Amino acid sequence: MTATASKSPAACGPCAAGLLCDGKAGKIVKDGVWANNPISIQVLGICSALAVTNKLANALVMGGALIFVTACSSLFLSFLRNATPRKIRMIAEVAIISTFVIVFDQLLRAFYWDMSKQLGPYVGLIITNCIVMGRAEAFALQNRPIASALDGIANGLGYAIVLAVIAVFREMIGAGKLLGFSILDKVWYEPNQLMILAPGAFFTLGILIALLNALRKDVPETKP
Amino acid sequence: MKVDTYTYTMIYAVVLGVVCAAMLTAAGQFAAPYKEANAKADEMRHVLTVLRVPFDPKSTAAKLAQAFEQNVRGRDRGGMSVYEYVASDGKMLAQAVPFAGPGVWGPMRGFLALGPDGVTIVEVSFYEQEETPGLGGEIGSKWFQDQFQGRRIVDAQNRPGIRIRRDGAKGSNEVDGIAGATMTCDKVEIMLNETIQRLLKERKNNDRNSQ
Repeated sequence: MTATASKSPAACGPCAAGLLCDGKAGKIVKDGVWANNPISIQVLGICSALAVTNKLANALVMGGALIFVTACSSLFLSFLRNATPRKIRMIAEVAIISTFVIVFDQLLRAFYWDMSKQLGPYVGLIITNCIVMGRAEAFALQNRPIASALDGIANGLGYAIVLAVIAVFREMIGAGKLLGFSILDKVWYEPNQLMILAPGAFFTLGILIALLNALRKDVPETKP
Repeated sequence: MKVDTYTYTMIYAVVLGVVCAAMLTAAGQFAAPYKEANAKADEMRHVLTVLRVPFDPKSTAAKLAQAFEQNVRGRDRGGMSVYEYVASDGKMLAQAVPFAGPGVWGPMRGFLALGPDGVTIVEVSFYEQEETPGLGGEIGSKWFQDQFQGRRIVDAQNRPGIRIRRDGAKGSNEVDGIAGATMTCDKVEIMLNETIQRLLKERKNNDRNSQ
């Protein structure tokens, strides 16, 4: 996956003749969002995915945070990829990732105080989210900056979409609401609190992954 | 340039550290005044809520401060800041005292609001707590906090203290505890009672001084 290995720059589409991202933009986006989705396929970053999905608004902000952090850190790490000594590679990654996480956290606290209170420690915990460092190690260190940033955005988006889907089900069934608006009327609908609590997250995610695996034809069915 | 020499590694680490630190400092400095204003507005909102001052919950920080200015009078009583809800005719409608103490996982903070008689509870609210969600964390829920409304901070014999009971609330100074959260309930009880003791002692001192 070196920079010289680009085969079809013309097929890239929007980004200038494919020179910036080696003509892999389409594949990068498809991989991050669908074919290699960080949550539903790689099952990474589950901790936060389970914790913040009891409300759609929380899930969206968390998704946005991850897109921002993964994109920025992948971009920077890719810029520095040839200048970073191998020995302290990981420490450098964590330092850069945590810087962007804290910057986002500070902005959230400054302008969306209520949201930052609701998300509690989970924004800060993005530092330890496997997706961010995973993309840094697996992609940003071998690819050019723009491609890496795109990969970060795509993976963040993949995470955000799955979170949003889980949150829609949990908030709707668990509270009868969506983004705070009443959807299922209290008159005939009794909210199922289980969906708001932790087990609801496990059930939803499990069912979602099973459904997605059933939909995908390229997943090999392993038999014991 | 060789990137794996010791000298280069050291220089790289120092430069990266300084750049990251500079970015963090900039973000922190930039956000500090906003965060401070948010924290202050948050506290004002809690004071207004426990004192039952009518205000629009969606109002901006400036409107909130205005409602606070107009209705609430802060007082220092023996190191305790007491907030009083004073009506336009000068009558005190409610007073709130902050309380704080250790919880199971982290600090707990909140307000205890009393009616004009000084012993009937108007509202108890916890605005900062990190108790176990679903168990001790229930102290943040409405059903638990609502139990305190109309209770008294003294028992039938006028002895100060609130009790959180495991076997259901019976007396006028008792509330029902949370199943599975004995530790949190004990800590809440201790915290509330410390505040009540201080408040009553301070009140006694005040009465003596004014005679």
